[in-house]
Amino acid sequence: MNLDPGTPTEEAEEYPPELARLPPGRHGLPREFVAHNQRERLIAGLAEAVAENGYGGTTIAHITRHAAVSRRTFYEHFASKDECFVAAYDTVMAELSERVGQAFEEQEDWPRAVKAGIGAMLGFLAAEPNLARLCIVEALVAGPAVVERYDAAIQSFVPYFRSGREGRSPEVLSRLSPTTEEALVGGMMSLISRRIIAGKTMELESLLPDLVEFTLSPYLGGAEAAKVAREG
Amino acid sequence: MAEYASRTRPSPGRHPLSTEFIAKHQRARVIVALANEVAEKGYRAVTIADIVRRAGIARNTFYENFTGKEDCFLAASELAAKESLRRVIDAAVEVDTWPNRVSAGLSAFLDYVAGEPALARACIVEALAAGPAAVNRYERSVQAFVPLFRMGRKVSTHGTALPSTVEEAIVGGIFWVIYQHLVNGDAERIKELLPELVEFSLTPYLGAEAARRAAAETA
Repeated sequence: MNLDPGTPTEEAEEYPPELARLPPGRHGLPREFVAHNQRERLIAGLAEAVAENGYGGTTIAHITRHAAVSRRTFYEHFASKDECFVAAYDTVMAELSERVGQAFEEQEDWPRAVKAGIGAMLGFLAAEPNLARLCIVEALVAGPAVVERYDAAIQSFVPYFRSGREGRSPEVLSRLSPTTEEALVGGMMSLISRRIIAGKTMELESLLPDLVEFTLSPYLGGAEAAKVAREG
Repeated sequence: MAEYASRTRPSPGRHPLSTEFIAKHQRARVIVALANEVAEKGYRAVTIADIVRRAGIARNTFYENFTGKEDCFLAASELAAKESLRRVIDAAVEVDTWPNRVSAGLSAFLDYVAGEPALARACIVEALAAGPAAVNRYERSVQAFVPLFRMGRKVSTHGTALPSTVEEAIVGGIFWVIYQHLVNGDAERIKELLPELVEFSLTPYLGAEAARRAAAETA
């Protein structure tokens, strides 16, 4: 808890190096880099402010204080709090997608790739509770523009599951319906978001076996899915 | 607007309706008006003025029943949650065997959603944008369906081995598929989802083959 809201404190030092506060005065950095850096800082500042105050309670003053930039700088980058939130949301979701995609690509067989992808998602959200809250809880109260992105982000996981249809027997394929993947992704995200809403972000990683078994079952059958889910 | 008001309001002067009856119906009318407005414009854009205009009531009457837009929205969610659960249970107890109960319950639920597209859109799609209380309310209503599925553990050969979260994932998945249909304006095709949702729900308990046979019977 920062009891001295007037000055930015050590908190700024805890940012990853690229987000840390630039030294004041002439730093000789290219203008474009500074601008980018400010933007990143504002995004990180928004995430912290929203974690502290909720989206509704967050003001631009909160954001600029956390980011340690001036109000004017804020308005050079964003027209409003909403716009800054959307940028933060997109940044976090891009990072999450990249991690999931990478983890998925690294595995050769599909069931293990799904397991690795889900593991990467849970790992990221558990390690970044503020960002998890931002993307799952606050996103929903931040207005229609973000809700649309939220929908799109969830649906973006559908193809990973759909690729599990490749090479399956006609018998397996015949029992998958057009909405199977949507239902699996919806079920998975519902489990994840309920824990984040309840403030149990730290428990997310323990969901891995359940989610793997649930999502693989339609393709592999229950027994095989349970086996993959419980492998070390 | 004046015409609308005169059609829907009890006529002034002598009428045999008790004030309690009128109050109850005013409340329902406001809820219906809110659901329609929210479905059309989105939760955030709707004003109290929009709601009272559509309901054909005075602003005072609105505030006699609700403290504000959120309160009214929560009342709409409450109503839809209770009514949908009641219909699902009524349909489920009509049949024996658990797979048939799931199928009958889901069918009743899809019928309700298809029959009340504005209320469904308000409560399933807009709930997520209507603030933390609405999100909590939504989550509670969704979870109310868990016990219907959990009964499947008793008929499953591997009921005790199933992950404890299966039911939560099933209801989450069902609602997400319905949500997508409502968002994409496919409300009229919602009932067609019955076989695939039945199959999706039964598979963890009965295995894919038996689930498919049960789903085929719904068609």
